[in-house]
Amino acid sequence: MGRDLRFYALGALAYGIVLELLLVAAIVYWPEFEDNVEAIRDFMPGELKGALDRMTSGGVASYLHAQHFFKGCNTLGTLAAVIFAMGAVAGEAHRGTLEIWIARPVSRRQLLLERWTLGALAVCLPVFATTATVPYLLGTIEVEMQFGPLMLGAVHESLLLLVLYSIAFLWSCLATRIVGIAFGMLLLALLHFVAYLIPVVTHWSLYRLTDIDVFARIGATHSLDWRMCAPMIATSAILLGVSLRVFARRTP
Amino acid sequence: MQRNAERPSTSTIVARGLTRTFGSKIALQPTDLDLGPGGVIGLLGPNGSGKSTLLRILVGLVRPDAGSAVVAGVTLVGDGTDIRRRCTYAPGELALYGELNGRDHLGWLLRGREGSSRARACAIADELGLPLRARVRTYSHGMKRQLLFAAALAPAVPVRILDEPTEGLDPTKRGQVLDLLAADARRGTTILLSSHHLGEVDRTCDRLVFLSAGAKIADETAESVARRARRLVRVAYAPEADFDSVERAFATMPEVRATREGTRFAVTLGTEDPRGFLAALAALPELPPPRAVEFGQLSLQELYRELYGVEGC
Repeated sequence: MGRDLRFYALGALAYGIVLELLLVAAIVYWPEFEDNVEAIRDFMPGELKGALDRMTSGGVASYLHAQHFFKGCNTLGTLAAVIFAMGAVAGEAHRGTLEIWIARPVSRRQLLLERWTLGALAVCLPVFATTATVPYLLGTIEVEMQFGPLMLGAVHESLLLLVLYSIAFLWSCLATRIVGIAFGMLLLALLHFVAYLIPVVTHWSLYRLTDIDVFARIGATHSLDWRMCAPMIATSAILLGVSLRVFARRTP
Repeated sequence: MQRNAERPSTSTIVARGLTRTFGSKIALQPTDLDLGPGGVIGLLGPNGSGKSTLLRILVGLVRPDAGSAVVAGVTLVGDGTDIRRRCTYAPGELALYGELNGRDHLGWLLRGREGSSRARACAIADELGLPLRARVRTYSHGMKRQLLFAAALAPAVPVRILDEPTEGLDPTKRGQVLDLLAADARRGTTILLSSHHLGEVDRTCDRLVFLSAGAKIADETAESVARRARRLVRVAYAPEADFDSVERAFATMPEVRATREGTRFAVTLGTEDPRGFLAALAALPELPPPRAVEFGQLSLQELYRELYGVEGC
């Protein structure tokens, strides 16, 4: 457990630091962005113009949702989810250490749940930690924002990352080649980002679940949208259940 | 923990009809075992004979397609965690976490064991001369093997299952490892170890189980195998010797079967006493003088070929 804890803690710390640096840069850039938004709009292609309009329509809140949740957490979070998940089981098989990992008198169920939980925390905690610094960072440019809706946004964002993490985790339970998982998951993420930008298929994109509008609604209602959250929780739970089943029969 | 309610066998390791296939390959044909209590049992066979598969099934790492097993009184069910609480297992694969030092790795390997195991494992590792403060990535093949061995020998359990524990060790270390195992067996532990070198483990084993192509082909005491070995004499000649005349001479000797292997003959006798054969050999001065005569040593390959009629070791 100590070795795992160290790996996931260091990974989460590195990912959290990069996420925070992106957030700081975005907040420091806000006054300049606000002043030059029209000039920026002129340079943008059609669909991105719409995204920019949505980003600016709600002021600093929408801008932050786009910069922190949609851009920062979705990209870095997806990357972190894939890295933490692919190493969980496939990484052991790849290194040849799968046998000694499962040969100890600890049930496979316990081993896998520990790994899944540590990875899930490593994916989600940096989202909460960095989001919690937003009100303080905004204070440096004399802008205020409520803490509660921001944290609800972090919950919503984490649920999507958890789904992506659980997909990669199941793949890790099935596979041996970590490179295949990495490329496969990154291709999947890329396809969904591309789909997000194409109006006729945009509703198929997973990243629609963490669109700027979604966070705007959370900010306006001060509550989570359970029609979106419940399926994400259920999907993660089902994927974890299947992972446990697959891993129980895995041959070292 | 699921205890076996009815124990028709007093053995510590009991298997009935264990079978496993991987795709179209039969890794283990229906296999029965009754091993222990106590003693060192050698599971011998060439590479790919099913040794590791059988050991992995017994500790719950591989699920059998059919059959049942009871190890240390615990029936094999699910992922075998209950069995692994009552026995230790050292895998044949030597992949370890290189970033950990030896001491930390022992602690990691001993998760789920009683607290005193770690101190005992460190003591065994010290005895074997392992540098526990060094990172495992700096360890040689043999040192990694010894680290796994120390972790498998430390916990107080009734059964130890070790996959090729002497593979890659130099003769001195091998002797140390086998001595530690023999001492452990004298305290009543049942030790099942695998090897594909008969000469590496036979001096410690009380009993030998032979596998070939996934099937158990023999199960006998080490003493009976040694008796069989005493029927084998190897006679080596110079390369320029007249091998045809030697072969003809052997063919005329009663209860002697000779097979030529390059510049030497493997001679199987009808008796454990070689003196008659040696006297007959000495009584034929027209034959070239032997360069070397070996007696009582049997390789696994020879054992399989000569005694069980199985090739391909």
